[in-house]
Amino acid sequence: MNEELDSQLSAMFDDELPEAECQLLARRLSRDDLLKARWRRYAVIGAAVRAEHGVRLETNLAARVSAAISAEPSLAGAAVAGKRAGAGGGLRWWQPVAGGAIAAGVAALSVLWIRAQSPVGNDPLLADNSPPTTITSPNGTTPNAPSTSDSNSNIYVVPNAVEPRTALVPQAELANFVVAHSEFSTPMNRRNLLSALVASESGTAGGANESEGANDDADTPAKSSAREDRTKNVQEAK
Amino acid sequence: MSADVSDLSLVRRVQRGDKGAFDALVLKYQHKVVKLVMRYVRNPAEAEDIAQEAFIKAYRALPQFRGDSAFYTWLYRIAINTAKNAVVSRDRSPIDFDLDLQNPDESYDMQGRLKDSETPEALTLTEEIRSTVNSAIDALPEDLRTAIVLRELEGLSYEEIADAMGCPVGTVRSRIFRAREAIDKRLREVFEGGLGRAEELG
Repeated sequence: MNEELDSQLSAMFDDELPEAECQLLARRLSRDDLLKARWRRYAVIGAAVRAEHGVRLETNLAARVSAAISAEPSLAGAAVAGKRAGAGGGLRWWQPVAGGAIAAGVAALSVLWIRAQSPVGNDPLLADNSPPTTITSPNGTTPNAPSTSDSNSNIYVVPNAVEPRTALVPQAELANFVVAHSEFSTPMNRRNLLSALVASESGTAGGANESEGANDDADTPAKSSAREDRTKNVQEAK
Repeated sequence: MSADVSDLSLVRRVQRGDKGAFDALVLKYQHKVVKLVMRYVRNPAEAEDIAQEAFIKAYRALPQFRGDSAFYTWLYRIAINTAKNAVVSRDRSPIDFDLDLQNPDESYDMQGRLKDSETPEALTLTEEIRSTVNSAIDALPEDLRTAIVLRELEGLSYEEIADAMGCPVGTVRSRIFRAREAIDKRLREVFEGGLGRAEELG
């Protein structure tokens, strides 16, 4: 064995060899079994000097580790795999988002389905925007009407329908809220909230129906004439 | 001299796919790691199993080692965590002491396996190595003995030893090498005589 090489090995074992020499010697050490055996004995000498009681100095631990590692993939490939795994980790970040989106979609479909299944589901939810029915009093006065300079100032305006509940928009907002936050709510809470929403929407839809009914009343000629009769009676009484 | 440069050279080789370089790291630190693990488990065989697991974990994690800390510091943490986890796992899964009365030899084998590392033969070999090293150190000239003891027992750097001994660093390096060579010569006789398999790594 080359004495200079052994001297370098001893210095390398103590972390006292210059880096450039270390790199060359590390390459040789990993391939040269005789050099490795000497390296091992240097380790045994250190352990014996330190009197590491309970530690077997002739242990075959290194051989066992070497055998186990021989079945492992090379780290050069593992490093690439690690980078790929890192990229996969990036994809994993999207999984909760995708899950949330799917949950939100399912919740939205559930709300739409429930609304479609309700008895008033097919009715329009907004009040009809048809112009109000106007009644002109015979004397040209417009009781309770605001005085304006407009030519239509003496027109008695009768609301043709009960003002539709403005609660419909908040209901939609509430539905959106439930959908958007269904990811974070427990199933029980989500179901309770949806039930409450559906129940309240049924009420709103009923109100809308009532409005529609009012419109129907206004459009019925018989009922319209009856209302005119009542107006005449009032005027005669005056 | 930057610390850990030799370990880092080996680590870089392992990271490039050279498994043989990892053997050198295991050979260098196996005794330290086993001794470390034995703070948590008393059975030497169990300590070696845990140390083996720690080395394999370290190998698998080596692509993530960037060299911000010394390799042994990093390995130390892995070994400690592995030992702690092993102790917790062992405590959670009590040993089944139900003896198979139909096959009493099985229980006998189990007890034998638990004490395998403490067989008189294993203890004798370890004691033989230790006494050989100690007697070889005693036989060294004073300057070589002081240098190797300051290095191995006190863990001083070459520069610190040079300051302590009042000599150049190059002289310290030479003295330590010659001390090792003298001890190794005696040790090889023991290995070749009673521990032939010790020369075989794989």
